[in-house]
Amino acid sequence: MLSRVADHMYWMSRYIERAENLARLMQVSVELLLDGTSAGRARASGSDEYWLPVLAATAMEGTFQLLYPTPKSGDVAHFLTLDEQNPDSILSCLREARENARTVRDQITDEMWAELNHIYLLVSSKAGADLLENSPQTFFEKIIESALRFDGITSATLARTEGWHFLQLGRSLERADKTSRFLDIKTQSADPVEGALESLQWGTILRACSAQTSYRRNHGTEFTLERVLDMLLFSTDFPRSVRFCVRAADDMLHHISGTPTGQYSNKCEKHAGSLLAELNFSSTSDVLKRGLHEYIDDLQVALNETGQAIFETYVFLPQDTSRPQVLLPPWDPLGYHLQKQQEQQQQQSASGTVPVAPTWLRAASPGQCGLSQTGPTP
Amino acid sequence: MDSDGRMRPYYGPVAERLFGMGPSELEQKLKNLELLFLKQGVTFTVYGDERGTERVFPFDPVPRLIPGAEWDLVEAGLIQRITALNLFLYDIYHEQKILKDGVIPPEVIQGAAHFRPEFVGVNVPRDIYIHICGTDLIRDRDGRYLVLEDNGRCPSGVSYVLENRAAMKRVFPQLFGSTGVRPVDTYPADLLAMLRHIAPRQTARPNCVLLTPGVHNSAYFEHSFLARQMGIEIVEGRDLVVQDGFVYMRTTRGLQQVDVIYRRIDDDFIDPQVFRKDSMLGVPGLVDAVRRGNVALANAIGTGVADDKVTYAYVPEMIRYYLDQDPILHQVPTYLAWREDDRKYILEHLPELVVKAANESGGYGMLIGPRAGKAEIEEFRKRIEENPRNYIAQPVVYFSQHPTLVDGALEGRHVDLRPFILCGESIKVLAGGLTRVALQRGSLVVNSSQGGGSKDTWVLVN
Repeated sequence: MLSRVADHMYWMSRYIERAENLARLMQVSVELLLDGTSAGRARASGSDEYWLPVLAATAMEGTFQLLYPTPKSGDVAHFLTLDEQNPDSILSCLREARENARTVRDQITDEMWAELNHIYLLVSSKAGADLLENSPQTFFEKIIESALRFDGITSATLARTEGWHFLQLGRSLERADKTSRFLDIKTQSADPVEGALESLQWGTILRACSAQTSYRRNHGTEFTLERVLDMLLFSTDFPRSVRFCVRAADDMLHHISGTPTGQYSNKCEKHAGSLLAELNFSSTSDVLKRGLHEYIDDLQVALNETGQAIFETYVFLPQDTSRPQVLLPPWDPLGYHLQKQQEQQQQQSASGTVPVAPTWLRAASPGQCGLSQTGPTP
Repeated sequence: MDSDGRMRPYYGPVAERLFGMGPSELEQKLKNLELLFLKQGVTFTVYGDERGTERVFPFDPVPRLIPGAEWDLVEAGLIQRITALNLFLYDIYHEQKILKDGVIPPEVIQGAAHFRPEFVGVNVPRDIYIHICGTDLIRDRDGRYLVLEDNGRCPSGVSYVLENRAAMKRVFPQLFGSTGVRPVDTYPADLLAMLRHIAPRQTARPNCVLLTPGVHNSAYFEHSFLARQMGIEIVEGRDLVVQDGFVYMRTTRGLQQVDVIYRRIDDDFIDPQVFRKDSMLGVPGLVDAVRRGNVALANAIGTGVADDKVTYAYVPEMIRYYLDQDPILHQVPTYLAWREDDRKYILEHLPELVVKAANESGGYGMLIGPRAGKAEIEEFRKRIEENPRNYIAQPVVYFSQHPTLVDGALEGRHVDLRPFILCGESIKVLAGGLTRVALQRGSLVVNSSQGGGSKDTWVLVN
């Protein structure tokens, strides 16, 4: 598989997973508002404060402050959902996913494309904005459902070749990252809560990870820190736990290279394998000893390093020295605009902006087109 | 439609079936059709919009019908033409006999913007230069097909032909009725067979790739569509690397040799070491690999000299010179001022003609007779007399009209036709081609960005 194609497959699924998780988190947060939490009270007083934990959980506060130095009511919600300036808003994620898919349409199935295209067209349309306005729950549900459908379609239609492995790899890493970030909401919470409210908070996080049913089956209805951590970090059978996702990513890496599991042949396998071993041999008490927030930080650093190593192993193209250096203007340092412009210039087009009729013919007004042809045929 | 604006009789059954549906059903189906295209991403990108707005190429459900016998003649004419053009390109890049024999003045070739003197003496696999040609045809008042231009570089549009047919079958199956229509869906297989035919390294499965400028190109959908249909990789310039004169693609398992490149990038951008130095799309060293015969390009470099507007005037001569045949397809009459008879005709008919300077492009040095003032005409008369070699002239051309659905009724709209020709082991012409239609009344612009659309083209079995 082309390295660039592998990269697109990887990012396509990462972005879908990212959009889905954000939608999940926003969905349960909206529900939380209906309860008597401080966030609920904030909502009642018309403040945006209740979205702040979501901003924190998705590590987007910095971008938000940059784009909205003096936020107004509704800015955070817009920023997270339909804001095109925010590269991680739901809309931006879906657009990136679709753009990656469009680039590798020859590698994915028609059904996968149709699903992704469908949800993007909905979210980017007026109808999508209206839906978000009038029924946010339905809006988030649609995104979650579409992502799940995409997953199902992929598993039912895509051949288990390298493309599949890169796609699953991206999804697993993104999911591990998001589950760990959601856990961090608890440590980021402005006012520490106890008792019933704490229980409510854990319930929310579990629901954001679709974990409440599994949790209840294993641990009953009482939410405790240790049990939630055990489930979301270390469960071997819950598909959104960090350990489960890292194991899936590790499996994919070994499928790609053909190296037996437990060994490594490149940097990314080494990173993923070490992280998996760490998770395999850790327990909740280790986490609490290190501190939850610190532990999650370490985890995210390790996940990022794995991602970076994948890029360096399979995608990174060392600078091609045979390519003549092009002088680029300061406003286009990477040549993005120049490249785009050149891409657009090509072709004897049937549909683009290159005129089909010769210019002199277009210049003639309709009334003059009927002039008869006379004279000798050359 | 015929010259009196009446629908030709063989449209009867199709029109009947179309209106048998009733207006609401028809409208519903048209909506479904657009949705289908949008869902499948059968779109083109509108340039000049940062968000990269995508639009569906407007589609008219009334198919263009071409009787089998009429098409057979067009097909024969296209085969004749591409054969001559390929012989011409071989000649121009080798002995240049046609110039030495005085059939075409050498200045015409030397002045052509797309002539590549660097390729004189270089052999291309199987001596084929234009492998894929998209020739634009129009019909004149007498119903004759005229060649408007030969697109012998990177013609696009074939994906719409295939998608239009698939959509018609899906949304309007009843329109086909018992009408026998020649299939178009063999095109991708024919294209792949052609690409394999020109592979320099004749292995069981030569590695053919499609080289795209990238996802921002308006025809990207087509590139990825064709790659998908053929089951070959679609690559960008940065995916390819040249080492020791061989071309490789970068894969997750290392470098893999490439044998044939179906390139959809213009000559100018294909290799920054040889042509435009600022190309971000090309592959450094590619031209050298082509020269050494280690990789085949479709179409070959330098074919632009054959679809140049001045060379166009000489295609009938080429057909006579190389094939010793009379041209089957007519073309827009082009008068060359250096020929005495033609010059006399031009000078007598200046107010009716369009005069172009042979060596200038982009509308510069052009006279549109019917719109020009007296002084301008006299100015051109002087210029032509002083330097006849530099001028050609053509009459203003009539485009035929075709029944098109407008607000629930059929009206005539101007159309052209772009058939696609593949030149490999044998020459294959896709049955029909892309019919583009100017959807606005009286308009001659079939371009989609300016109110143009397309329709399915049916070559009838009988």
